[in-house]
Amino acid sequence: MVVFFKRCRALIITLFGVTALSFLMANISIVDPAEAYARNIFLHPTEEQIVQIRNEMGLDQPLYEQYIQWLGSSLRGDLGISLQTKNTVVSDIGQKLPITMQLVSLALLWVVVLTIPVSLVAALRQNSWFDHLVRVATILGASLPNFWLGFLVLLFFAVTFPIVEVVDGNLVSLVFPSLVLATPLASISIRLLRATLLSNLNKDYVTYAKARGLRNGRIVWGHVMRNSLPPLVMLFCQYIGHMLAGSAIVESIFSMQGIGTHLVDAIMARDLPTVNGCVLIIAMIFVFGRTLADIINKRLNPRMINRDEVLYD
Amino acid sequence: MKEVLKVSHLYIRLKRALDQPIVNNASFSLQKGSALAIVGESGSGKTLTCKAVMRLLNARQFNISGSIRYNGMDLLEMSEKKIRALCGSKIAMVVQNPMTAFNPTVKIGAQMAETLRVHQKLRKKAAYELGIHALERMNLPRCEQLMNSYPYVLSGGMLQRITIALALIHEPDFIIADEATTALDVKNQQMVLEEFEKMKRRGIGLLLVTHDFGVAAKLADDMLVMRRGKIIERGTVYDLFSAPQQTYTKELLDASMLRKEKCM
Repeated sequence: MVVFFKRCRALIITLFGVTALSFLMANISIVDPAEAYARNIFLHPTEEQIVQIRNEMGLDQPLYEQYIQWLGSSLRGDLGISLQTKNTVVSDIGQKLPITMQLVSLALLWVVVLTIPVSLVAALRQNSWFDHLVRVATILGASLPNFWLGFLVLLFFAVTFPIVEVVDGNLVSLVFPSLVLATPLASISIRLLRATLLSNLNKDYVTYAKARGLRNGRIVWGHVMRNSLPPLVMLFCQYIGHMLAGSAIVESIFSMQGIGTHLVDAIMARDLPTVNGCVLIIAMIFVFGRTLADIINKRLNPRMINRDEVLYD
Repeated sequence: MKEVLKVSHLYIRLKRALDQPIVNNASFSLQKGSALAIVGESGSGKTLTCKAVMRLLNARQFNISGSIRYNGMDLLEMSEKKIRALCGSKIAMVVQNPMTAFNPTVKIGAQMAETLRVHQKLRKKAAYELGIHALERMNLPRCEQLMNSYPYVLSGGMLQRITIALALIHEPDFIIADEATTALDVKNQQMVLEEFEKMKRRGIGLLLVTHDFGVAAKLADDMLVMRRGKIIERGTVYDLFSAPQQTYTKELLDASMLRKEKCM
């Protein structure tokens, strides 16, 4: 229970920090949001019109007061009204988030489906041709920029060989974007899991398990895999937030209306309520991912719970 | 006397250096109810020899030739399935470092039960009960609680007693003990030695690997001295201690005597 409260406190502090920073950054920027917004509505806004907008948006107040006000209303579930779409920020996000969530979930599914078998075979057949192939592929996958890979896939499957509808609204159309989004994480995960599997395979408990008469399959699935997962779980869960925020590039390449492009559009248009709202949501998901990783890892490795248990003899 | 293990012309080579065998033409046999000690400095090939018997060496790394016969079967020719079925039942092992022998994230009871269940058809509950009995026979306290503990909360002495209990559970024909006392304190060493003594009386063959002449003197009937992969001297413990033929054996003996004197 104490652990739970400590966790909650950490969560709240993180969210505080992230939202305060996003507020601050928006204000450091040299572009005046009121002016930018005014130029959006009127072709040649007068000084008075800009001042009027500034007052309406509450931008004339000191920064900390704006932040406190925003915090107060967001605690009530009100993230303000988008300057661009004139809808509430919450309803906009409610519309865009599911699209990105689908994309990210599918990408994460790819990561799991690829990482576990590939790194297992690479570790069990260390230095085989397959292992070497995986090494090259994962280095490439981790270092290729997303936008380049995205364009390449688009070019290949939409223009040169249009076998499937790449840009559409259904699940099939999600396959390519999610694969592109999954590539970097899958590459890093495969390398990570291969390394932890190898170090576990060389441990004494594997030798002794064989000496006890356990077969390889049982040793790998019952012992080695379980002990190798914690670092991967941590990486994986942290990437959930990372992917949400980083989905903008993939979304814009494949013309999807997700939260990534929504956020980038809002930043371009100086739509501060939307920017702050999106950052809050993404930060929440990020923090949630980390908590989830902690919970799973504690189940996998009991040593993380009772560090100072009694040694009895 | 019945022979439980016969190793003949055993060569172990690394696949990437086939011209230099790490174990070079080793031949020996182990009788029922007797103990054979293999002594030698580290890197002399004694551990590899033991691992070869249980087929614990990675076949992708090592090239093994010769024959290792147990009950008329060649352990080197056997299928992986068959050799695993023998290991942990008829051929058992007591480990060098009991602290790292068990998977740290799985409870002792689960690891004992899993060992029992790969060798005989048992329900989980029955396997647990058998496990508790085996621990009780080793005079371990609060056995049910032990079964529910993770390995890292137990001491080395307790864990070693658990590995011995596991080794004895299926009435093995012989036990391989690779430096089984090295990582333990004096009190626990004594306990392990007594257990080995009891095993011999029960007719179990013991293959001891050690660099401690004291252990060899106490337990073994016969002794092999290995150096750089070769068996350079063999004989009864009495002969070797009283009249070592090779200078290397003398050196080893002197070194261990010197240590004893210093300890006093």
